[in-house]
Amino acid sequence: MHEYSLACEIFETVIATAHNNKALAVNSIELEIGRLTHVNADQLLFCLEVLSRDGIAKGVKIDVNFVSPCGECECGYRGDAGVSDNVRCEDQPPLYEYTGLTCPTCGKLLQLVGGNDLIIQTIDIEI
Amino acid sequence: MKLERGSIMLMHVVNINKDVLKANNELAYSNRKLLVKNRIFAMNIMGAIGSGKTTLIEEAINSLKERYRIAVIAGDVVAQMDASRFEKLGVRTVAANTGRECHLDAKLVERSLADIDLEDIDILFIENVGNLICPVDYKLGEHVRIVVVSVSEGDDTVLKHPMIFRTSDLAIVNKVDISEAVSADPSKMKADIEQLNPSIPILLTSRNDRVSIDRWIEYIESHIE
Repeated sequence: MHEYSLACEIFETVIATAHNNKALAVNSIELEIGRLTHVNADQLLFCLEVLSRDGIAKGVKIDVNFVSPCGECECGYRGDAGVSDNVRCEDQPPLYEYTGLTCPTCGKLLQLVGGNDLIIQTIDIEI
Repeated sequence: MKLERGSIMLMHVVNINKDVLKANNELAYSNRKLLVKNRIFAMNIMGAIGSGKTTLIEEAINSLKERYRIAVIAGDVVAQMDASRFEKLGVRTVAANTGRECHLDAKLVERSLADIDLEDIDILFIENVGNLICPVDYKLGEHVRIVVVSVSEGDDTVLKHPMIFRTSDLAIVNKVDISEAVSADPSKMKADIEQLNPSIPILLTSRNDRVSIDRWIEYIESHIE
């Protein structure tokens, strides 16, 4: 379970950025989570909530954008592998569904590209 | 813009665009450069708790230590047990305790490498924390990623942990000699690995089967210049 340490790193970056911009409050944080990472979004959000109970990020809203990997095949097929983005955490399909995806053109196992990131995209602050 | 307590507060969106996992990958890349510069072949041995990672490394050390200079980074949450097993074999050993983390990361490996005379080493074993999930997201700078499972974890363990098999360079199914006793089918495990990653080499091993251990040693030697 490394969601807590990831949450700490995200939180430190957010607070440092807020201070650098002389923020009075942090209203929201926008995160991007690749669907092939083993980061559990529910656990990560819980840890961030705990960290933001006091201080300038109190009650901060956290928006998560899930990013699917792209599927590539040696036959030349290239396409989005998986379901549409921005679905709710509980709708995140199990990794197994991604790793078992086959090429719709030739039936071979798809190579998955991307979907491995955990990115702090933006924060919305009051100054 | 919104009004609050009589003062004007401005809403402002700040772009951060920081990839939290990328910092580890960059450090892993610098570890790799250091290893390449010193002509060291480094393996990241990942696998379940009790799958036999330590035993397989011990077997390899015993077979290779006369011909190569070997070091081990032994990852564990808190204990020194694995490290002391390697030290007994007379190889340079660094215990990398993660404290509370479930995986080794590139920073811990960087620190451990600083404690090793890299010019005097040909082969580096990095034994990860027993876990089939978290180590997947953390590159260390290794040349090959090796995943070890044993039949005693149950023959459905491969399909339950697809990403580690998709991203590894060698898969080992260990303790095949006790398959019957634990009602597991190693050929099912092999087929499951092939389904997830058709190009990965797979070894079925048992410490009681010398031929299978020799294949493991041959795999390592085939990567050394």
